[in-house]
Amino acid sequence: MKKYILNKSGHFGEYGGRYVPELLIPVMEELEQAFYKLKKDPKFTQELKALYKNYSGRPTPLYFCENLTKKLGGAKIYLKNEGLNHTGAHKINHCLGQALIAKHLKKKRVIAETGAGQHGLATATVCAKLGLDCTIYMGAKDYERQKPNVFFMERLGAKVVPVQTGGKILRDAINAALRDLIAHPTDTYYLLGTACGPHPYPAMNVYFQSIVGKEVRTQLKSQESRKPDYLVACVGGGSNAMGLFHEFLDDKEVNLVAVEAGGKGIKETDRACQHAARFQTGSKGVVEGFKSIFLQTKDGQIKETHSISAGLDYSGVSPQLAYLKDLNRIQTSYAKDNEVLEAHTLLAKEEGIFAALESCHAMAETIKLAKKLPKNKIIVFNCSGRGDKDLFILAKKYNFSL
Amino acid sequence: MKLMTHIVAGYPSLKESTDIAKTMATTGTSFIEIQFPFSDPIADGKTILEANTKALAKGITTKKCFALTKDLAQNTDTPILIMTYFNIAFKYGLEEFCRKAQKSGVYGLIIPDIPIDEEPFENYIKLCKKYNLHPIQVISPITPPERLRKIAKIATGFIYCVSRYGTTGEKNTLNPDLRSYLAKVRKHIKIPLALGFGISTPAQAKEAARNADIIVIGSKILNLYDETPANTKLKAIGNFIQKVQCACLPS
Repeated sequence: MKKYILNKSGHFGEYGGRYVPELLIPVMEELEQAFYKLKKDPKFTQELKALYKNYSGRPTPLYFCENLTKKLGGAKIYLKNEGLNHTGAHKINHCLGQALIAKHLKKKRVIAETGAGQHGLATATVCAKLGLDCTIYMGAKDYERQKPNVFFMERLGAKVVPVQTGGKILRDAINAALRDLIAHPTDTYYLLGTACGPHPYPAMNVYFQSIVGKEVRTQLKSQESRKPDYLVACVGGGSNAMGLFHEFLDDKEVNLVAVEAGGKGIKETDRACQHAARFQTGSKGVVEGFKSIFLQTKDGQIKETHSISAGLDYSGVSPQLAYLKDLNRIQTSYAKDNEVLEAHTLLAKEEGIFAALESCHAMAETIKLAKKLPKNKIIVFNCSGRGDKDLFILAKKYNFSL
Repeated sequence: MKLMTHIVAGYPSLKESTDIAKTMATTGTSFIEIQFPFSDPIADGKTILEANTKALAKGITTKKCFALTKDLAQNTDTPILIMTYFNIAFKYGLEEFCRKAQKSGVYGLIIPDIPIDEEPFENYIKLCKKYNLHPIQVISPITPPERLRKIAKIATGFIYCVSRYGTTGEKNTLNPDLRSYLAKVRKHIKIPLALGFGISTPAQAKEAARNADIIVIGSKILNLYDETPANTKLKAIGNFIQKVQCACLPS
């Protein structure tokens, strides 16, 4: 395991690190100390476990997709249903953990960025529960396309701020949240929502998300008496993928497949990509406080991205995934918008499950894989969220007037 | 008191940013900061953020930024600093960036997102020294004393003290604790202190100059340029710089 995780200096190999303005250094140090102290504190872990169980409804089911498996005629397909968490996605796993840290640090105000709104919704939810003031930054484009989540966040008492800079998507929301933290370094907690950002965020969020893979190991052991052959997850920043993969990093026989947003295809101009597939055309960079793979120009300007799913529409990726890719521990793939829609329909019609468009990227890859693999192989894909939030995008695609 | 002023290369256009810098040099600015635009400038507030975005939309490149820098360095005696974000230098090749900066006649680099902790991985300070550039260190009101001591060991040229919490940009009031903040810094740091972020009026500059050796004005000048009618823009900037200097004269 040691080979695959964070080293003492806060890096994953050459990736990660803490490339932030000096004003944020004491903030990151304070957070790092609190996190490493609390994760060893039995009271903290008990409190978190109780919230996972009683508040979020963990463990989430590992469900055998029998109809889908029969239809595709290949490997057995299992779905880890993170969509059944309270608030509808895996995001609540790190939100609960981080909000408890914020409480411990006696911060009164929490800020967060959100793309699809799932992380924002989970943040607003835990803030409501724990009595914390909450502000959510959301790119203006995402604000428009994920309206249901905006409405729910506001009903939970959060202030949702549409961000008008750049491409008006997730990256711009992260930048706005970082600027807010720079302006309020002592009283505000930045509840960053993915496995990116300056140290300790990538390691911390993976720690809180790793419950997903742990449950999969136990559940599959009881259902199949063995380990999976393939784990498949979509990758925006990397929180659900690392959550699923982390537990199995040392199990070399388990293949880990990270699926990025192929958008309208792997095409791009000097300024913008038609996709968000960092592992296809990205290069090393240092942005938003960490070193990783980014979609950028040869001058180092970050490119705009495109995906049908707001949660994957991001130009950077988890530094740990970048490292695992270099070590050949993960395989990478991508799914295009049209494949994602087909996967969404198939899962709904065969199994009666509406998955989030983000998660349908993993589903699309699972379909391709299952067909190629023999019947004795097992694929587990992370259905990281449920699809309610995509109502308006899908209704428009299928010409249904709401 | 010395004054450092700031331009964003390529904003509003390459020619105009050059003209602004030349005006600064001839009206008595002691240091000029040339910002190489970046798509994600997290330490910058609205004015400079928008200037970065617009300069990039108009096609500014690192190559053009260096050409502008070299032109200025050759045509004025004012020391020139490059201000940018780490990804711009990293992507250019850090050593190549430093070599090119030296060749362009640059005094130092101001890169806010490369803290000293990453030195073992990036060799930023080492490379600056190799190419005779001052790696200007930035500190904040919450930088703890042990960190100030660490920074003091490697800092040369001057130290850039961020006056308050927040990103760059005009503010109505200065941080009321400036005196104690800078006094704390001076206990550990013996080279000149520059003070920036939020200084936008001659009165604020005067107040800042009581405590710091160098006053930094950035956003205000960009706003002044944008707000002034076309034919008097450069004159307005020259007048403003002179007003600031007069205000800071010892009375």
